[in-house]
Amino acid sequence: MIQFEVTVTVEGGLHARPAALLVNRSAQTQSKITLNKGEKQVDGRSILGIMTLGATQGDKLLVSVDGADEETVAASIQQLFEQSFQS
Amino acid sequence: MLRNLFSRKKQQQEITFLAPLTGSVVPLSEVPDPVFAGKVVGDGAAILPTEGVLYAPVDAKVTHLFPTHHAIGLSTDSGLELLMHIGIDTVKLQGKGFTPFVSVGDQVKAGDKLIQFDIAVLQESGCPIVTPIVITNGDVVAEKNVVAQGNVAAGQQPLMTVVLK
Repeated sequence: MIQFEVTVTVEGGLHARPAALLVNRSAQTQSKITLNKGEKQVDGRSILGIMTLGATQGDKLLVSVDGADEETVAASIQQLFEQSFQS
Repeated sequence: MLRNLFSRKKQQQEITFLAPLTGSVVPLSEVPDPVFAGKVVGDGAAILPTEGVLYAPVDAKVTHLFPTHHAIGLSTDSGLELLMHIGIDTVKLQGKGFTPFVSVGDQVKAGDKLIQFDIAVLQESGCPIVTPIVITNGDVVAEKNVVAQGNVAAGQQPLMTVVLK
């Protein structure tokens, strides 16, 4: 399992568009993905879960990726956050 | 028809969603936000509300309530996940103008009041009030039909029907 921290830099936080992008990325993988904001944990494949995490700009999240392709998936997700979901 | 004769006979469940708002039905593709119009979040319909109350369109459990109360996620016993997002870009209102009547974990019946919102507050801030109503787990849906058009009254008539796989 790979765990890493990301900072939400996208304006408006993890709202519909970034959540959708993240879910699309997660759906293409074989790994289990979870996002943690403090004590709240959501499934990275659930768009509703991500959107209701309440992650606003500036929040730090802990991302966990567990699976056969975890390294590529983790890198891909990290990139999404770093680029503020501009894609 | 023939397909059913040769394939494994599975009871296909049809779920009817009543109109959750009073207003006029708008095709999802006309919603002024590419994320909803492009069905990125899911497929469904939208309503331009004339009354500031969102009701449950179906018996379900409240599984997601946005911290700013402008959107809500419901899950039905049959396994459908529905997102109703009041207005567009309304997350920027930070909750102003929204009053929730339910909490996460609540079991609601079709017609129950979910969220009250002040249409004037939304309009003053420049937010479109059109409200998308979408199924977020489309992978379980075999067929979706928007059966209403024009004006609808909340809880009085069906908005769309969904057939599960």
